[in-house]
Amino acid sequence: ETSKPVEPGQRSAQLTSLMSARRLLNINDVAYPSGFVSPNPSLNTGAPPGKFNYDRKFLLQFSRVFVEKPSDNWETQLKQIMGDAEPSTARSAN
Amino acid sequence: PNGSSSGGGNADKDEQITIFHDKDNFNVKHPLIHEWTLWFTKPPSGKGDNWNDLLKEVVTFDSVEEFWGVYNNITPTSELALKSDYHLFKRGVRPEWEDPQNKHGGKWSYSFKGRAAPIDTLWLHVMLAAIGETLEGPDDGEVMGVVVNVRRGFYRIGLWTKSVGRSMQGGGEGDTAGGKGRSPDKAKKVLEDIGRKFKEVLMLDQREQVEFTGHTDSAHAGSTRAKAKLTV
Repeated sequence: ETSKPVEPGQRSAQLTSLMSARRLLNINDVAYPSGFVSPNPSLNTGAPPGKFNYDRKFLLQFSRVFVEKPSDNWETQLKQIMGDAEPSTARSAN
Repeated sequence: PNGSSSGGGNADKDEQITIFHDKDNFNVKHPLIHEWTLWFTKPPSGKGDNWNDLLKEVVTFDSVEEFWGVYNNITPTSELALKSDYHLFKRGVRPEWEDPQNKHGGKWSYSFKGRAAPIDTLWLHVMLAAIGETLEGPDDGEVMGVVVNVRRGFYRIGLWTKSVGRSMQGGGEGDTAGGKGRSPDKAKKVLEDIGRKFKEVLMLDQREQVEFTGHTDSAHAGSTRAKAKLTV
């Protein structure tokens, strides 16, 4: 399942949330829904507010969750920066 | 004691909704300890390009969520043209050895011959270790950034450090990277621990060697290969 399509020029709900979300201060306050793990607690014992280390297992959980473009005009910006840096050789998946 | 103070009703507090609770309506994000800037080196066009025109800042971010928004919407390393690089560096540090924060430093690096290595996964894991701050101890202060180079016949992944395990001019008196208060033995151990962690993230066999070289050693080496200062 993919996220719902976003009209050109319209900000996705996900990006809107990202832009207004506040930074977590105490990660131990968070009860993650079942099926998701918290960061390895040994990494963050005595961590100052908002200064957390994250292990790979925790970080990989976001991979299929935050999928929207990270800014308005992302594709235009990216094209300006990376230009035709796209594949130099045709890659066929299988 | 007046009973348990934890687990009580916290209804007065704003509810913390993470992206895992509601992917489109979350109100807290996961902060990174540092801000990170992703850079891209564009392959030369062969028409006398200026290096400064080829090295481009892509985006700066400071949350886990934003990192994934970037990663999921950018060309994977395996699809980049030859002579491209990605660099992920702490904000304010240019991914060049001439940068004031790099010029006394060095790098751990490893070349993956051919195209068989799962380079997208390896580069992702190295970036995650960097932004999750699991490559070094909290007070080491060595990691400046990580880089992947796409070259003919190999991929190379590097991890840049602030020092080469010696105190540096202007490095201060403290027990910091390049500081006089960090003994040479400790400084070496810090770099080697980082190298071992890097090697582990790259999923390398124990028999493989990962090498550390100082940037200026490489820069002044001319045609001869710079001597590795450390290996793990």
